[in-house]
Amino acid sequence: MHRNDDFDLISSFKRGDKSAFEEIVLRYQDRIYNLCIYMLGNIHEAEDVAQDTFIKAYQNLNKFKPASSFYTWLYRIAVNTCIDYKRKPLLESLFKSSKEGDEFVVDHPADSPSPERLYGSKEIGNAIQLALGRLSEKLRTGIVLKEIEGFSYEEIAEVLGVSIGTVKSRISRAREELKKLLINFREQK
Amino acid sequence: MRCLKRKLISPYIDLELSARERDLLDSHINECRECAGELKKLEKIHELFADAETFKAPHGFSTRVLANIREKETKRFGGFVQILAKSAEGFAVLVLIFVGIILGSFLSKTLASEKGNVVASLSLDIFAPAPTDSIGGVYLAMTEAKNEK
Repeated sequence: MHRNDDFDLISSFKRGDKSAFEEIVLRYQDRIYNLCIYMLGNIHEAEDVAQDTFIKAYQNLNKFKPASSFYTWLYRIAVNTCIDYKRKPLLESLFKSSKEGDEFVVDHPADSPSPERLYGSKEIGNAIQLALGRLSEKLRTGIVLKEIEGFSYEEIAEVLGVSIGTVKSRISRAREELKKLLINFREQK
Repeated sequence: MRCLKRKLISPYIDLELSARERDLLDSHINECRECAGELKKLEKIHELFADAETFKAPHGFSTRVLANIREKETKRFGGFVQILAKSAEGFAVLVLIFVGIILGSFLSKTLASEKGNVVASLSLDIFAPAPTDSIGGVYLAMTEAKNEK
């Protein structure tokens, strides 16, 4: 992570150089988008939420204090925005007809490069995505930040605003759940 | 009953144990079939994630973000101007009403003091009496006689 560079960009932004924010977006757009895909399991929702994340970051950047690292601050916004997005009004959810977990298999639009380099790779990817969809929000967030984003326990604790012990426990429980789910998927084939 | 050291396996995979804890668990796994089995299963899950796809932001993403930000800033500024305009409009109406009341009150006082003059100016007493041998004087004499009857 580019800690010093981030602070330089933020300082420039606070001095009135709005173009510094574009650099921030370019620096983090892939990672935030990737996180949103694994948190939400839907390409279009992921793009909307990733956009909202950067808009919120822009609106609050003047309040950001360098005591914490910028990327954990940005990821916190992304995680909270994903969680808020999933907590849709009950009325909307009544009209959703997808089976539980199925929405987590990411369908790629026709004009994007094919992700299926190997049949096995797609199967693995789908199984992980389906299994993640079955986890609770708290367990999914922890395991995605660990396994997909590669954060340390300390970084995850900073993003989520919880203790390292809580992070450790959630990741351990997430793996227990995934173990059971992935065995079920294999047995269903 | 589960082995007590089993809870260390998840952080062990994540390299989150201290050097001492790691060495202890390494020795333990060599002796404990349960923990060795658990480690193997969790390592498989860890490997699945290692093979999971990494998604890149779609083409034009940053352009759309900045466009959205500009649009929101324009709306916010426009909304502020609208509120200001409506407040100014409302204030102007209040000022007009206030001025109207003051002006009306002033005018009515002025008219009341001039009322006497106005009435006096409209009075027929300003006209001189008609001479008795004039047509007007004869008419008036005939009218008075008729009224007396």
